Amino acid sequence: MPDDAKSPFPAADPFTAFWGEFMTRMTSMGFQPPQPGADAMQQMRRAFFDAMAQYADNFMRSEAFLGAMKQSMDSALAWQQSMNQFLQKGLSTAQMPSRADTDHIVQLMRGLEDRLLGRVAILETRMDSIEKRLGK
Amino acid sequence: MTTATAFPWSIPGDMFAGQWQALMGKMSAMPKVLNAIQKVRVGATPTHTIYRDDGIRLLQYESDVEKQFKTPFLVVFALVNRPYILDLRPGKSVVSHFVNRGFDVYNIDWGIPSDGDRHLSLEDYVSGYLDRVIDQIRERTGVEQINLMGYCMGGSMSAMYTALKPEKIKNLILLAAPVDWSSRDSLLSVWADEKYFDVDRMIEVCGNAPANWLQGSFLLLKPVQNLLEKYVNFYENMEDEKFLEDFFAMETWLNDNIPVAGETFRQFVKYCFQKNMLIEGKLEIGGQRVDLKRIECPILNLVAQNDHLVPPAQSLPFNAAVSSSDRKTINFPAGHIGMAVGSRAHRDLWPKVCDWLQERSVPLA
Repeated sequence: MPDDAKSPFPAADPFTAFWGEFMTRMTSMGFQPPQPGADAMQQMRRAFFDAMAQYADNFMRSEAFLGAMKQSMDSALAWQQSMNQFLQKGLSTAQMPSRADTDHIVQLMRGLEDRLLGRVAILETRMDSIEKRLGK
Repeated sequence: MTTATAFPWSIPGDMFAGQWQALMGKMSAMPKVLNAIQKVRVGATPTHTIYRDDGIRLLQYESDVEKQFKTPFLVVFALVNRPYILDLRPGKSVVSHFVNRGFDVYNIDWGIPSDGDRHLSLEDYVSGYLDRVIDQIRERTGVEQINLMGYCMGGSMSAMYTALKPEKIKNLILLAAPVDWSSRDSLLSVWADEKYFDVDRMIEVCGNAPANWLQGSFLLLKPVQNLLEKYVNFYENMEDEKFLEDFFAMETWLNDNIPVAGETFRQFVKYCFQKNMLIEGKLEIGGQRVDLKRIECPILNLVAQNDHLVPPAQSLPFNAAVSSSDRKTINFPAGHIGMAVGSRAHRDLWPKVCDWLQERSVPLA
């Protein structure tokens, strides 16, 4: 089939690709349907799982999957955000602390910690220079 | 005379009996399965906590084996999942190899970040907690330098730390640790692309990176293996007690997920996965540039050949990025978790790693 020829059933293409992969793997394993060995089922299963895994990996790298993933993630985050806002309003009305309030306190404490540590570092440098001057 | 009529599609009697017998065998194994679930234990080597800092704990492994080396050995695990994978069960414990050789072994339990920890950044973990833990060990043991081994994200953090404080590290071992995210071999790298994943918005909304979301993503990396093949394998081996013990210990670890502190997750995805700043020497932690060229200590880079999470292309460039003259890579045929729990790794890899470290550690007088 020429490269530019369109498949008559595009929806069936992924399945055709998966089935082709499965059969190729079966053939490469030397599996012959008329003379199945003792572990024929095992071989067949291995080939089936491998082909399926390969197909799943290809699919999850495809633009279609990545686009759908982004869309579902955006929707989930939008829903979560409206829930957060709703809860925050409810808690605020009931005069109770929300996550935003605790976040604010944590940030204040971190700012305070940074300033204190900064001061300690300055004092340490000063102490060092004084000790040097005193010859200690 | 009567003749029996056989339907061509009927199941032969012996085949049916065989299948029935197999099914009964599986059913009779159910009490064993339930027993194994109740008996599941993780952690092979006893530990005690020697230092606490906020939610993190520094654990020291106990052993009857006499200490042979002055240089202590610290293991740094990722912030995702729990660190006991390195000491999962007797016979599947990386830690026990080192303990039995006479090393003084420590491990960091990063704890479980709460909602209030969402602001903890890479700086807090690398220049804060990790640095204080290392100082604690140095103080307790009276040595200037320690041996450091980082696994997965813990390896990336160990590399960052060693670049920032090279004077405190004697030997560095990286185990399946990503440092170069330029390749798209791993599905995670494809999914984390900024075109499809807005990490800023996610952290703004969720706070921390949720544990169940992380777990779902890891499962989806190998859906056939994790959601199908694993259970087929379980069904086939459910009569084997040893298999059940290992299976449930592993499942316990796999499902023991923890969230990752929001800001750390944001920085790791943004600076590492999306901008690849570590290997390019552009990453800054606490206002200090992380320059891998500052690393001069001996390096052992353990690369898992079949790693779907951290493919070799993400780990291999490390040795070329450092200044060390003593650097070695071991390419081992295992997967990401197989490096820690695989029988072959315990037989062929870890004794070699112990030899390597032994040659480079200071023996006790």
